Formats: sequence, C-alpha cells, structure tokens
Amino acid sequence: MSNALLQKLLLRTGSRSRLWFSLCALCVGTTLLLVSVAAWWNFKELLEGKHDNDSLGSTFLTIGKKVTDQTMGDPKATLFNTQEIEQLRTAPEVQEVGVLSSNRFPVYATFSSSVGFATEMFLEAVDDTYIDKKPADWHWQEGDRYVPVIISSDFLNLYNYGFALSQGLPQLSETSIKAVSFELMIGRGEHAVKYQAHVAGFSDRISSVLVPQSFIQYGNQLLAPGMTIAPSRLIVKAKDPSSRAFVQYLEEHGYTTNAEQLRWNKLRSVVEIVSGSTGLLAILLMGIGAMVFVLFIELTIAKAQASLQLLLQLGYSPRYLRSYMQRHFVPYAIGALVCGAVITTGMQAGAAVWGKNLNLSLSTLPGWPVWAALCLSLLLLLAMIRRAISEAIS
Amino acid sequence: MQLALQQVYALPLKEKILTHTSGMWMQDIALEQGEYVFVQAPSGTGKTTLIHLLYGLRNDYEGNISWDGKQLSATDSEALAALRSKDVSVIFQDMRLFPELTALENIEVKRTLTNTVDTTTIDGWMERLGIAHKKQSLAATLSYGEQQRVAIIRALVQPYKWLLMDEPFSHLDNENIYKAAELIAEVTRQNNAGMLLADLEDNNYFNYSRKIKL
Repeated sequence: MSNALLQKLLLRTGSRSRLWFSLCALCVGTTLLLVSVAAWWNFKELLEGKHDNDSLGSTFLTIGKKVTDQTMGDPKATLFNTQEIEQLRTAPEVQEVGVLSSNRFPVYATFSSSVGFATEMFLEAVDDTYIDKKPADWHWQEGDRYVPVIISSDFLNLYNYGFALSQGLPQLSETSIKAVSFELMIGRGEHAVKYQAHVAGFSDRISSVLVPQSFIQYGNQLLAPGMTIAPSRLIVKAKDPSSRAFVQYLEEHGYTTNAEQLRWNKLRSVVEIVSGSTGLLAILLMGIGAMVFVLFIELTIAKAQASLQLLLQLGYSPRYLRSYMQRHFVPYAIGALVCGAVITTGMQAGAAVWGKNLNLSLSTLPGWPVWAALCLSLLLLLAMIRRAISEAIS
Repeated sequence: MQLALQQVYALPLKEKILTHTSGMWMQDIALEQGEYVFVQAPSGTGKTTLIHLLYGLRNDYEGNISWDGKQLSATDSEALAALRSKDVSVIFQDMRLFPELTALENIEVKRTLTNTVDTTTIDGWMERLGIAHKKQSLAATLSYGEQQRVAIIRALVQPYKWLLMDEPFSHLDNENIYKAAELIAEVTRQNNAGMLLADLEDNNYFNYSRKIKL
C-alpha cells in the first residue's frame, strides 16, 4: 500500500507547529518527572548511607538512657537489657537496632615520647554495617599486634578548635592524625597486654572511640570473664526520627539522643515533602504533556475523518489504518521520552561531579527508579496513543 | 459468490414499501455470481439506499442480506474490509473521490490495496476513457464527467465477484457511456463476476440477465 498517499490523506492536516509544541510539552514533562525521581533517589541513597563515604547525615541515632538523680551511681540502671532492645526494634519508625558494646577492662593509651601524652580511655565496638566511613584496614583478629581505631570527627574538632588553641598546641589534620601510631595497653599488672594502634578513620555518625568488635570481645573474654556486658548505648536506624511517635517513645522510656540529629531529620522530612511535591507536580506536567500529544493525534484524525471514512469504504482495513497511525506517532512519543531521559542522564552526571566536590558519593548514571519511571511512562503513553487511535478508527 | 436478500426493507422507506408493491424490497431474492442485474427505479425510491445496504455502508434495515451465506449485519469491520477489497466493488453515484489527490492517485489508492492490476493497464484504461491527459490533475479540478470516469476505473482496479453501480453514467454523454460500459463489461467478464446496476431509466448498456423494478 502506498504510504505516501496515506500520509497525504491522513497526516497532511496536522499542523507541524502543534506537533512540535506537543512534543516539547511531553519532553519537558518527562524530564521533570525523571529529574524529580532521580533527585528523590539520590537523596534517599545519601540519607540511607548506601555508600560508605556519605557525610550528609543520616537516620542513624545513638541512643542511651538518661542519667537522672535516681539512676546516678547505679550503672545497671543505664544499661539496656535484652527485653528493652527487642522492644526498641518494634518501636515506631525503627528499622534496625545495633548494639554498641564497650570494654570491661582498663585501657591506657600512650603516645610517643615526642608528644609525651598518655591517657586512660574507653573503647566501644559496633557491627560494621553501622559504620559510616569504614576504613580499608578495618579488621582485627587474635594475634594481630595492630589495632585500627575510628574516632568521632567531633573529637578532632574539639581538639583543633578548643584544646589545641587554648594550650598553644599545633592543630592537626585528619591525614596527620592517621599517620601517628600509639601504644594501647589493655589490662593491668601481669595481665596487661600491649598493642600498637592508629587512627584509621573518623566517624560523623557515632560519637565514640571505636575498635573492631572482635577486639572488644577478645579483651572482655580475656580480662573480664563473667562480667556483665550489657550495652549502655544503642545505634538505631530510624525511618523518620523526627516523627512525633518516635520522639514520644524515646521520652516515655527515658532514652536520650542527639537533639541536633532530630532537628536535621526534621529538615530531611521537609526536603522529602518538597521532593514529593515536585514529583507530583512533575507527574501532573507529564500527564498534561501526554494529554496535549494525544489531543494532537485526535485532532489530526478528526481533521482527516472524511478521508478516513472513504478509505474504509474503499476496503482499507481499520486494523491496518490504526497500525499506520501508530507507526507514525509512536516514534515521536518515544523520541520525546528518550530526549527527557538523555537530559536527565546529563543532569545526573553533572550532579555526580558537583557531589564529588562536596564529598558526596552520587552515581554518574540515574538509578533504577528513573528507568522504571521512564518505562512506566512509555507504557502509559503507548496505551493512551493506542486507545485514542482505536477509538477514532473503528 | 451468491447475493441473497430475504424480506429486506430500509427503515427510512418503511411507509412507502408497505403501501406499494416492490420488485426488490420485502422479497426473497438470490442473485448468482455472473448475473447482470438491472434495478430500475424513479428518484427517491431507494436505489442509492439499496446499493449502500448491499455494500455494508448502512445497517438501518430489516430482513437479511447475505454474501455467500454470510449475513452482512453480523460481519465485523475487518471482514467487511476484506469483502470490499476482494469480492465486491462499487461505483458511487456521487463518485466519492479524494479532492486533494490527482486522478491517478485516486486510482492508485485503490489499486495498491491488492496490486492485482498493473499501472500499464491503468494507463490504457485512462486512454480508452479519454482522461489520460487529466492523470495529474487534482480530482477537485475535474469535471463531473471526468470524475465519473476516474471513479469507474477505480472500481475496476481490484479483484471482484460483484460490481455494484449506482447511476454510473449519469454525467457521461452517449459516446463516453459506450466506452465506459464496454470497459466495465470486459473487466467484469475477465473477473467472471456479476453486476448490479441501479438507474432511473431502462437501458441496455449491458446484456442484463434480470431486470427488476424497485
């Protein structure tokens, strides 16, 4: 069959400017939808700390029991028992609960004679999955003489901006601290064991001095056998720590956490609402874009109705004419969506470069939800086009 | 291919049909492929309506119309398209050409449906009917007579078992009627087809096997 003649009869009536206008609307709608999905996904990945090196803050909270006038002097009153931990796992918004186990043996750190600094200290350990910036050499097993240590970034800030300035001591960078090794002595007297330690990394998430779990377990078994090892602090991964139900739960149980983190999470909720609203707006715009394009198709068919009817009277199959119209319009629709996807991919690559400068780890390609949204949009659009053409040619 | 009508009448003509005797309405008629049938009727008695009913363009009728035993009213749009492109061809009274296409393109639109007639044959037919020089003219610019000749050729460029004609020569002079009728008879014979021609006045353009007064 002569496609040139069919084009002359059925498609010449469609205005080119209207076609390009509707395609632009479709492309803009698609781009906004995909960009908002990409933004939401990037934000989610950063918040949930999928990448080890995130530093955007998180939904992880360190929780302890409040020390009150009544519980003062009673160490057991501020420890968590198994029942309380299990209960916390089912609390509102709580997704995971990790235990911060601490040393039950004396620890004494000695820096080299040039620094001339020694101190008693505490150590804590947590499951590796809760560590936000896990160093490459983060492991210890019995027999190892080197112990990696992670300290809170807050400690370094306190030293650099408080202690060092007031004492006339030099300020230290993260790199310089990592280069310094020190002696770590655990236990006392004849049971004392000496190790070499170094700061392997800094944590924005956990305010403590962390060593590998295997080291704490080994020390507790060796130097404090039979002692209670109930945790005094827990690390909680919460879906929305700023939620009223979660905050109320903490207050009712006398638990305490970093209020700053709660405030940050309030901000996070606001950002999520904003990104959600943008997504809804984008869906609306995409819908309008699709409607404009489908209306253009319907208008084209309506204008060619006389020719269409005569073609049917002459023996043209309705199925063939529908398929011809779809073959004509679908590539335009796919083109507009692909254009939106290309723009989104470009913006994601740009965001990855921008994020790298801010030490935020973003992927250079849009995440799977973007592709899923693209496929879903394409399927919906194809269904709309198919329906419009089928209704017009029957 | 048999064309059968059982007690058929067009609903808009109900009053007229019930008060007058008709040779076709409300009758049981079976027409066999190869028959040349002439239907004569004055204006306003349903010639065009009959052609449209038989071609499946209208369904406002009572009774049964069937092509080869298959009821037209139960035929879906795809089967109807197949019937119109392979079995039954038509020359409309009002020609129904695409005004934005040339004379040749109007014929091509139909020819390319089945590709059973080559373009050289079409050139010859246009020459015979005296419209070869109008090949590239837009249909809208042709005279009624020229348009009618284009419509006749368009009806012949597909395979058919029946040719339905609704006042096919109404805009032609005797010489052109003779040429057109000769061409139609020749192609219909080649197709071993039947024809049904509806017109106002009795005529002998073809060797009719049956004449019916509507």
